[in-house]
Amino acid sequence: MIPLTRPAGPVPSPFNADQQARFDAGFAKAIAKYPADKKRAALLAVLHLAQEQLGWLPEAAMAYVGFLLDVPAVRVREVATFYTMYRLKPVGCHHLEICNSVSCWSKGSEALLKHAKEKLGVHAGEVTPDGKFSFGEVACLAGCGYAPSMVVNNYAYAEDMTPEKFDALIEKLKNEPGQNIADFPKNHDTGRAHG
Amino acid sequence: MANLPTPPMPLPQTSPVKILTRDWHLPECWTLENYLKGGGYQALPKALKMAPQAIVDEVVKGNLRGRGGAGFPTGMKWNFVRKETSFPKYLVVNADEGEPGTFKDRAILEWAPHMFVEGLIIGCFAIDCHVTYVYCRGEFRDGPVARLQTAIDEAYAKGWLGKNILGSGFDLEMHVVRGAGAYICGEETALLESLEGKKGYPRLKPPFPANAGGGLFKQPTAVNNVETLANMPAIIEKGGDWFSSVGCPKNGGTRLFAVSGHSKKTGVFEAPMGTTFTALLNDYCGGMRDGSTLKAIIPGGSSSAIMTAEEAEWMSDFDTLKTKKTMAGSGAVVFLDQSVNMAHALANVTRFYATESCGQCTPCREGTAWLSRLLDKLCRGEGEKKDVDNIHQIARQMEQKTICALADGAAMPVKSYIEKFRGDFDALVKG
Ligand SMILES: Cc1cc2nc3c(=O)[nH]c(=O)nc-3n(C[C@H](O)[C@H](O)[C@H](O)COP(=O)(O)O)c2cc1C
Ligand code: FES
Repeated sequence: MIPLTRPAGPVPSPFNADQQARFDAGFAKAIAKYPADKKRAALLAVLHLAQEQLGWLPEAAMAYVGFLLDVPAVRVREVATFYTMYRLKPVGCHHLEICNSVSCWSKGSEALLKHAKEKLGVHAGEVTPDGKFSFGEVACLAGCGYAPSMVVNNYAYAEDMTPEKFDALIEKLKNEPGQNIADFPKNHDTGRAHG
Repeated sequence: MANLPTPPMPLPQTSPVKILTRDWHLPECWTLENYLKGGGYQALPKALKMAPQAIVDEVVKGNLRGRGGAGFPTGMKWNFVRKETSFPKYLVVNADEGEPGTFKDRAILEWAPHMFVEGLIIGCFAIDCHVTYVYCRGEFRDGPVARLQTAIDEAYAKGWLGKNILGSGFDLEMHVVRGAGAYICGEETALLESLEGKKGYPRLKPPFPANAGGGLFKQPTAVNNVETLANMPAIIEKGGDWFSSVGCPKNGGTRLFAVSGHSKKTGVFEAPMGTTFTALLNDYCGGMRDGSTLKAIIPGGSSSAIMTAEEAEWMSDFDTLKTKKTMAGSGAVVFLDQSVNMAHALANVTRFYATESCGQCTPCREGTAWLSRLLDKLCRGEGEKKDVDNIHQIARQMEQKTICALADGAAMPVKSYIEKFRGDFDALVKG
């Protein structure tokens, strides 16, 4: 159940000490951008911050963010489900998103998606058994002239992709830590998920 | 449709004029040092000595048209905001860049962040705005946003931002904020909702953003595209008349064409407003890739109506393409070759709108989803002839019935792909 009202008392933080320190620093900067009586406007930024600590947005993180910004939980949920960059369930340590909009499509993104599925042995939206990788299809990433293009963990662009470059990328990422999702107990009861 | 008369205006085939890409040949062209070497931050002190209205007058004279998609005259928009008596006023920058095919704002933020920052400061001064927000698409965090933030930090350090800029008494704070993955937030009123921390549902107009009650936090607000503002230093330095002379009638300056698809070269090319698609393809992009022939052109992002190869002689300015029932849109040009079946291409384009419709208006939510289902059925080889007619009919029913233009942007390709490439659709019909 999503509470429709503001919480009565303080909501506990979902972060460990390191995460909390990073979150607090970012939080202060995010709300400073808006007029003092408009701190709710920072909701998107603060959700990004929470996700950057945990790798996804568990219910506890949304509740905490709502409490800090004085926004009812239902409004936080509304925003978290509207925007595709927020993850409502854990993804792999390395989440790969391949653009399949028209320019990338004209340069072979469907073949790349098929290759990703074969290489990783999972369908779009699933996580590999070792928890390392997941992949999905996304809309245009503004990399259309360097197609097909993709992003790793939301932010790292990889462009002019080919199946060979994809394999090389996987080899490289295997040895990198990726998103910090191990620190939070996996709670799959998080409602609607993005594919 | 194919043989409409071509417009009479002769145009130079390659542009000697470089405004936005002036420094792009330099290694590390994005640094402050390189921007200063090329003459950067000379327009700012000049602008701060002008009357704000005189700046807007230059923009009007320069025929600067918004580069975000609609081609709205920027000077007129700024005059609307100037007329409002409610303060504070905001200038909000649209750097959400989500229209399939479009990647030129990202190029400006990555390669000419200071030109954009200088232009934005001048724009804010012109409309008496003291706090400005640059709304960037979420994925830009580590690339374009990082470059932009560095440029902003440098501008603060130099006294070009903050209190009493260059002793003029003008104060300005510049903030970068990020979206989180929603094409609809490129629509200006959805963008404002998002900037206020909400889901991106477009607002019913009027009131328009420029008017009190319609903008950010209900204050008068000009929403402008990144490329639009990056033109400001050149307009101030060289004047509106000069700027206007670079383009074609009523369309001043150059345009950053983001070219993708099957041309030999793809990327961002600066060419005068109005440059024909033939010139863009042959003189800038080296023609089509080896062994391929041009079949179709998407002239201004995936929402624009498709053009055939024979129509490549058309000029690319806002007004010409409007008379041709398509649009110059975001300046994203996709050249497609004979390997593409246009029904499959349309199925791809329509899937985008079905996914990205925010769901607020029924004709858009249901229409885009229905179109997408029918087109997928056709592409699986299960479609019938009447499905093709149905698809066209549904698209017509969606037009001009919704709060924002996403539905129109979904309908325009559907109608035009079918009208101009009917053979590709009929070829997929079963039986
Ligand atoms: C569905 C939709 C998406 C849009 N996406 C963008 C975008 O990503 N970037 C942009 O600058 N304008 C976009 N626009 C246009 C804006 O609504 C607005 O016209 C523009 O930002 C105004 O700036 P300009 O006058 O400088 O062009 C979009 C419009 C619609 C209807
Ligand atoms: S179409 Fe793939 S990045 Fe734009």
